[in-house]
Amino acid sequence: MEAIALDHLSFSYDGENPVLKNLSLTIPKGSYTAIVGHNGSGKSTLAKLIIGLLEPGAGQIKVLGQTLSDENLSQVRDHVGIVFQNPDNQFIGSTVADDIAFGLENHCVPTEDMQAMIEESAAKVGMSAYLDAEPTNLSGGQKQRVAIAGILAMAPDIIIFDESTSMLDPQGKASVNAQIRKLNQEKNITILSITHDMEEASQAEQVVVLDQGEVAAVGRPEDVFMNEELMSRLRLELPFALKAAKAFQKAGLNVSPVLSTEALVEELCPSK
Amino acid sequence: MNNIALGRYLPMNSLVNQMDPRAKISILFILMIAIFIPAGFWGYVPIVAFILLALYLSKLSLSFAMRSLKPMMLMMVFLLVINVLVMHTGTLLISWGWFKVYSDALVQTAYIVIRLTLMIILCTILTATTKPLDLTLGIEKLLKPFEKIGLPAHVIAMMISIALRFIPTLIDETNRIMNAQASRGVDMQNGTFKEKISAVLSLIVPLFVSAFDRADQLANAMEARGYDPSRPRTRYKTLKMTSIDYIGLALAFLVLAIDIAIAWL
Repeated sequence: MEAIALDHLSFSYDGENPVLKNLSLTIPKGSYTAIVGHNGSGKSTLAKLIIGLLEPGAGQIKVLGQTLSDENLSQVRDHVGIVFQNPDNQFIGSTVADDIAFGLENHCVPTEDMQAMIEESAAKVGMSAYLDAEPTNLSGGQKQRVAIAGILAMAPDIIIFDESTSMLDPQGKASVNAQIRKLNQEKNITILSITHDMEEASQAEQVVVLDQGEVAAVGRPEDVFMNEELMSRLRLELPFALKAAKAFQKAGLNVSPVLSTEALVEELCPSK
Repeated sequence: MNNIALGRYLPMNSLVNQMDPRAKISILFILMIAIFIPAGFWGYVPIVAFILLALYLSKLSLSFAMRSLKPMMLMMVFLLVINVLVMHTGTLLISWGWFKVYSDALVQTAYIVIRLTLMIILCTILTATTKPLDLTLGIEKLLKPFEKIGLPAHVIAMMISIALRFIPTLIDETNRIMNAQASRGVDMQNGTFKEKISAVLSLIVPLFVSAFDRADQLANAMEARGYDPSRPRTRYKTLKMTSIDYIGLALAFLVLAIDIAIAWL
């Protein structure tokens, strides 16, 4: 079964300029999908539609087999979590524990059960030592990890990351990205990551390229990023390893195009 | 910012810190009523005694409590001037041409000053010994009975706690915008009144734009996490009244009873 199925989805904010045009897309359960594309390609709008913050102009959104409607919105939201871009603007509680508790409170989890659930999800993101910390004393990466913990406490099937690492420093970015991969591999949570970061996208199982509200390409990262015509037409930046590999090829070295730094190192100086 | 005593929480491990915020708010309320009972100067003796006890138990210094009065000094002087100018009853104390001071003006001012002082010290003790969030939770629980007549107690509490949560964020934002505008040549300190107004505008407009943007994103995040003000919620933090709270409440009622006795018996 698909985690998310979008069927001929259209959307416009003002009724004139379409943001999404007849978009169809399926995201398999347990997969890690990255959505890339330029500003204004409709990436974040898509996330808001899936979580039901916006209503589609035409077409259908199916989440875990249920067609999204006003009636089942809150049930669907029990299964889908979203981490937004700005770490400050999604930190609702005044301490880490309070923030993780926020979603539990909304879902009427009994007070007696909360402490254990909060501690468990804080431990999963490595924030156990900060339960009483206030947001002003946390780094951006830590705040994003708290946001993830708040969602994990709800035991969701799908987590959407809407440019969640774009405001973080490299260290915070790396820690959040590692967390995302871990959730996908260990907990089998379906990940939909909307990102500008091609390094992160190259780690995904599936890459979706959006351009002006339409799907320009879908496929495995190696297939999408190797499509030179597409990448240059949309002026998307290539992952660093691939860029370097191509530069080596141009210089006459026999290097096959690879996506990860480790693979590039292996190409340049084979260990065996 | 650091010398404002009123409204600042001091993390101390005192008996008053451990009290239930509901009890503390209720005690404040009872004593406020006691302060306004016209029991003459003797009526303030039990209240002052209660406050001194509370200060002692909360490990706050008298000078900390006095510091909270500083911002009110100007207002107190202003009250004295107004009272002297308009009150012309009682015995004449000073007569200096058209300028006359009557005893009632001084007595009235003294009453108001005493009342203000006592109330401010009480509020300072409350805010210094109670975390803002506990205070909010206390207000929410105390307002709970009024939900039946349509008062949205938990919505009010949510608004207060979000406002408190975003104060440091918005102070950071203000500093950032001030620096950004200063780097573009805006001078906040110098210039004529008109120039200062336009400098402040260059701060306020971006601050509001960004605050609305934050509010929008926050609303999205809250909704995505299942917040619906019309649905019941459970609470993570719970409050529990202990014997100290009941003793405190009993003492506050005793003070009120004494004042009523002095005033009307």
